Amino acid sequence: MTQKQQTRFEEIVQRFVELKDTSELMMDLAYSSLLLNSKELAEEVQKLEEYMDKAHTNFELQVLSSKFKKEEAKGFLGLIRLGVVTEKIADAAAEIAEVVLRGIEPHPVLKLAIKEAEETVTYVHVTENSPLANKTLREVGIPEETGMWVLAIRRDGKCVRPKPESKIEVGDVLIASGYAEGEEDLKKLASP
Amino acid sequence: MHLRFEKIEYKPIPVRELLLEIKNLSELMIDLAYSAALFNDKELAEDILELEIRVDTLAYLLELEILVAARDVEDAQALTGVSQVASAADKISDAAADIAAIVTQNIGVHPIVSEIFEKVEERLTRAKVSETSILVDKSIGELDLVARMGVDIIAIRRNKDWIINPKEMEQIKGNDCLIARGASLGIKKFKELSEGKKQKLED
Repeated sequence: MTQKQQTRFEEIVQRFVELKDTSELMMDLAYSSLLLNSKELAEEVQKLEEYMDKAHTNFELQVLSSKFKKEEAKGFLGLIRLGVVTEKIADAAAEIAEVVLRGIEPHPVLKLAIKEAEETVTYVHVTENSPLANKTLREVGIPEETGMWVLAIRRDGKCVRPKPESKIEVGDVLIASGYAEGEEDLKKLASP
Repeated sequence: MHLRFEKIEYKPIPVRELLLEIKNLSELMIDLAYSAALFNDKELAEDILELEIRVDTLAYLLELEILVAARDVEDAQALTGVSQVASAADKISDAAADIAAIVTQNIGVHPIVSEIFEKVEERLTRAKVSETSILVDKSIGELDLVARMGVDIIAIRRNKDWIINPKEMEQIKGNDCLIARGASLGIKKFKELSEGKKQKLED
């Protein structure tokens, strides 16, 4: 395989991983929207779903335009199908978010099931005495401390998708996912 | 292709329990399915197809519970949401089965894809347990890797069998192949522990 081909493969796989990550983020955000009965989060999921449609098309075009040999074609069919699956997961996430957008308070059993699940989503309020306040996400290293990932920050009724350099402010609501075991640790960090 | 339907007998199970198991299984299946596709593992893929049938059964039982529970329009309005979420989780498990089918139908994923994927995906890993690893002969509950490093062992391959979603008392043996998911730092540590490169659970 030539260097050029190798780079092209890497690009394709990177794109696939992006599809996979986005579809999983959407699932987490969709369950979060139910837990919080949050329309903003549900709308965020719908926006991501539109983005996924485009990203998925671009991914397929890229695979199709990478001139691979006949005997390699089968391996790429597998990759294309993996792409289709991420799209299906994204659709399912959008359906979950729809429940919130309908405007009826989600049934309490949904919140219970989300809270008790092995992988859960949760939200915490950042109080004044929190060591997280006025620091960036990179500085505080929440995944290392708690095993939870910050999916979104809710500030003044708006949801922001966090970047490593995003600053955490007092009054923020951090929406995070991870194993239920990390929830307590995150709560202690955000509102000691 | 032949369709298989489990013979389902109605038994009352709380909606919460059904929903919880559907959610847990569907997410577990996705992670297992990506592993099966990337490591081209047929047995694991077949187990995922079995799990998919289980989720279908659970989803059907849940639908029955929901229909039985609705007494008036208000109930029905609240419960359609539950039904929709369960159906979405069921679709996620179908998606996992689609991934598994890539393996069982011998389509496969190009080996170079797996190679690159392992470099960029930091959430899923496969590790072989060395005889000298400190994980050997310890139970999942005793190790408590989830609390310790945010790593969850989702499947164990022992000889030719897969133990899916192993329970607390399950002991890890030398030469086991473990599939785990978690945060990237924990995953790194977990790999070193399995391979015997690191001999202490705590830093």
